[in-house]
Amino acid sequence: MKKNNILKIKDLSVSYGPIRALKNISLEVNEGEIVVLIGANGAGKTSLLKAILGIQKAKSGNILFLGSDITCKATDKIVNSGICLIPEGHVIFSSMTVLENLQLGAYYNTHDMNKNLKKVFDWFPILRERSNQISGTLSGGEQQMLAIGRGLMSNPKLVMIDEPSLGLAPKIVSEIFNMLIELNKEGYTIILAEQNAKKALECGNRGYVMETGKVALHGTTQKLMNNSKVRQAYLGNSV
Amino acid sequence: MEVFVAQLLNGLSLGSIYVLLVTGFNLMILVARIIQFAYPHIVVLSMYACWEVLKLTNNAFLALLSCIAASVILNILSELIFRRLTNREGVDINVSFVISMGMAMVITDIMSHSLNYGFPITFPAFWVGGSLIRFGLITLSKGQIYALVGSLVTVLIFFYLLYRTKQGRVFRAMAENRYVARLIGIPIVKTSIFSYIIAGLLGGFIAILFSMLLGSASPNLGEFVALKVIAVSIVAGLGNLKGGLVCGLLLGIAEAMAMGYISGSWSNAISFIMMLMIVLIKPQGLFGTQI
Repeated sequence: MKKNNILKIKDLSVSYGPIRALKNISLEVNEGEIVVLIGANGAGKTSLLKAILGIQKAKSGNILFLGSDITCKATDKIVNSGICLIPEGHVIFSSMTVLENLQLGAYYNTHDMNKNLKKVFDWFPILRERSNQISGTLSGGEQQMLAIGRGLMSNPKLVMIDEPSLGLAPKIVSEIFNMLIELNKEGYTIILAEQNAKKALECGNRGYVMETGKVALHGTTQKLMNNSKVRQAYLGNSV
Repeated sequence: MEVFVAQLLNGLSLGSIYVLLVTGFNLMILVARIIQFAYPHIVVLSMYACWEVLKLTNNAFLALLSCIAASVILNILSELIFRRLTNREGVDINVSFVISMGMAMVITDIMSHSLNYGFPITFPAFWVGGSLIRFGLITLSKGQIYALVGSLVTVLIFFYLLYRTKQGRVFRAMAENRYVARLIGIPIVKTSIFSYIIAGLLGGFIAILFSMLLGSASPNLGEFVALKVIAVSIVAGLGNLKGGLVCGLLLGIAEAMAMGYISGSWSNAISFIMMLMIVLIKPQGLFGTQI
């Protein structure tokens, strides 16, 4: 059964001045998938997500989202067209309340605001409880949930999450990953960039292994989990 | 006792103008990420515009409108200048300080040489209004009442805008973390321009209230006031809106008290003495910087 293609990246190269962060990346995401990007720190995962969102300008190559070229578009237009990024480090606006953070996520979708709020609160009941609390006082896991909830407020067609496990206790990490799987079952298409390769591959459908700005390996997560190089470098198994 | 009450009233009415000026100034710091030293100069130039229209048409409504329009237009023009310096992350705030000082000099020169031949301008009697209350030494002019009430209303509206509307949320988000605001899809340039417009509207209001309070303006007024606005901002903490409310009034009262009890020229020095003390004792300001 052919799935609709949501994102298609062809030969993308991005440089920070003289440093080549991404070299000829090609990648695809189809509707309803969880695509994982695994790789060490500095491999280029975050750079790739930033490039998709238009924060980093591409030097060459192109990015197609739902068929249209978003390579040189402005970030706010890209977010408006249906891509959201939940950045690394569960960054929220800590001086503002939980509710205000969520409302900010819906910048372009104000008419669906209440519907989306209800959805997010159903997903994350703890946020409903704390909706008038200053978000800087939330725990790390709650802040991560708020960051995800904020992303969902824009009704995205593609959700990109960067290192959701960073700085969180293992129990909370499991909760977050289970949440991602539930969201995917609901129909959200997800790109997940993670250093925790094991957890990422366990919950994803397909994966790309990134090393120094290139895609070293890609395929279904099953295939990657059985790949000896991946096991050796990222899953801690000795061959 | 009479002197105290009289000066308290004077101080509050002058202080309420400082409060508005610091609020506009802080808005620029927080959202546009610039130190707009020339903000009070733009206000004074708008007062000149108001006076000119009043002279030409004798129509108060047109004068009010032109005052606000002048302030908005001048602020938008300054945005174009500051945008030239913008890189992805916003203008380097120190560069903006220097540029705005240049703007201030240009505006002061325009007023000294080209407007009213450099002479101070006075607003007609009906504009300023007479005294409303007389009680011994204590007088309260219409202008002072306008300044007090107008300033209170404006502050309430401003904080309502900032804390109860979508645009206010966006301003606060940009003030806290410009990068993340960009990531979640907030249009940075558009919002920044809008903050200049808000500052311009506020500036127009300030010009109207100030002209009613003082009854006159001179080319040097901008200079005087700008230095005090910077002093208030530093004493309160750069970018601290709530602190600015308190410190603006404080400075107004302190200056009035100095005028009442010490010889007149010390009142100008008061703001700088306060600033020096704060920088020595608590450099982040009484309420903490918010940049």
